[in-house]
Amino acid sequence: MAQNKLRVLILDDEPIVCKRLKPSLEKLGFEVDTFTRSFEAMQAVEKAAYDIIVTDLKMEGMDGMRFLQEAKKLYPETEVIVITGFATMETAKESFKKGVFDFIAKPFNLNEIQKVVQRAADKIRSAGQ
Amino acid sequence: MRILFAGDEQPYSAYALKEAARLAMNTWADVNLLGIQPGGGSAAPAPALNLALTSYRETFLNSWEGEGSPYAKTNWQYEWFPVTEGVLEERLVCRGSKKDFKVHLRLGNPAAGILAEAREEGCDLIVLGCSRGGACQWAGSPGVPQKVAADADCSVLLVKEEQPITRILACLDQTHVSQSSLEILNQMVTIHEAQLEVIGLNPEGGLKKEVYTRLIEVGDYYQARGIKVNTNIAEIADFESMLSGEAQQDLLALWMGKKSLLQRFFPRDWVGRFVAKSQASVLVMR
Repeated sequence: MAQNKLRVLILDDEPIVCKRLKPSLEKLGFEVDTFTRSFEAMQAVEKAAYDIIVTDLKMEGMDGMRFLQEAKKLYPETEVIVITGFATMETAKESFKKGVFDFIAKPFNLNEIQKVVQRAADKIRSAGQ
Repeated sequence: MRILFAGDEQPYSAYALKEAARLAMNTWADVNLLGIQPGGGSAAPAPALNLALTSYRETFLNSWEGEGSPYAKTNWQYEWFPVTEGVLEERLVCRGSKKDFKVHLRLGNPAAGILAEAREEGCDLIVLGCSRGGACQWAGSPGVPQKVAADADCSVLLVKEEQPITRILACLDQTHVSQSSLEILNQMVTIHEAQLEVIGLNPEGGLKKEVYTRLIEVGDYYQARGIKVNTNIAEIADFESMLSGEAQQDLLALWMGKKSLLQRFFPRDWVGRFVAKSQASVLVMR
């Protein structure tokens, strides 16, 4: 799965978040797809694997916790980064129990998310060597 | 999210630290703990400040019961540090396992030091305590909280006293509402399980249409996210009496923008004026 250009999926029901994140990660050399609905993101994951998933938690329909669980079931090696506007200690702990790479509360600056995605990419690349 | 907690030796800083720790505990934020040594020149904090910073560090790191702290020190690594001008030393340091926790000391002007730390470290929220009453002091200097609240690039939480937050009064007096400000309010409501009331402020005898429209949009934003929100309209003239009376048990949140009605009515340092006047803790949102 780990190729030169890593594939990143962003899922957030707020379009402004996807709009901010996509160019900032593309600038770092990632191939980025964005989704505002979890079922559409799930369909994309079922079709092809993503190296890194950045997902919100609180969404209509399938929430982020379930989405990351399903995605991890299909591709356990995918690194998942959770971003949430409604952080609690319980959601943070539950996310890590489900094997997420990192947990980031909103608001965050682009530099912060770039660094975390880059760290996830480094982990994937070093595992592929 | 990165939180900057700025602490001096006064009791209000201990209250503010508790609030910062609570926020960090829920958001797993990166945290900077900052002390300011006024004046400058010395390479180490004065004994009282050193004692306070040590106590804040230990209180913060011990806030987590049992295992699972994101700040648990497990990552040993060599890093370069400047020792004198032009000389660096390689030292073995231990970093947090998941999230970053740093203690910094800055020398010089307190307000300038806090603002510089927030800017250079890319902080999303500054938390600091301050004394109640008109003087609104920090580290013995009047005006520090007001200056930080007025000039920071990010949101600022001023903690005036240890008290449970059951209601957040968010005041909207202009149309600029950033995504970050909506998100920081989300987090505060979630963490405190507080009621949210958004108040649209209007000049006496008039209703500013743009503010009213924005008020409805903000209300819809929170309702769509399952947050129960009450929206109200109040006249600016009543706002000051609300600050010193009704809002005592609440967190007062103010949206900052360039086209503030409050700024037009109270042009001289209106943020500082309200920060000092409010009996409750204040969140200035950007």
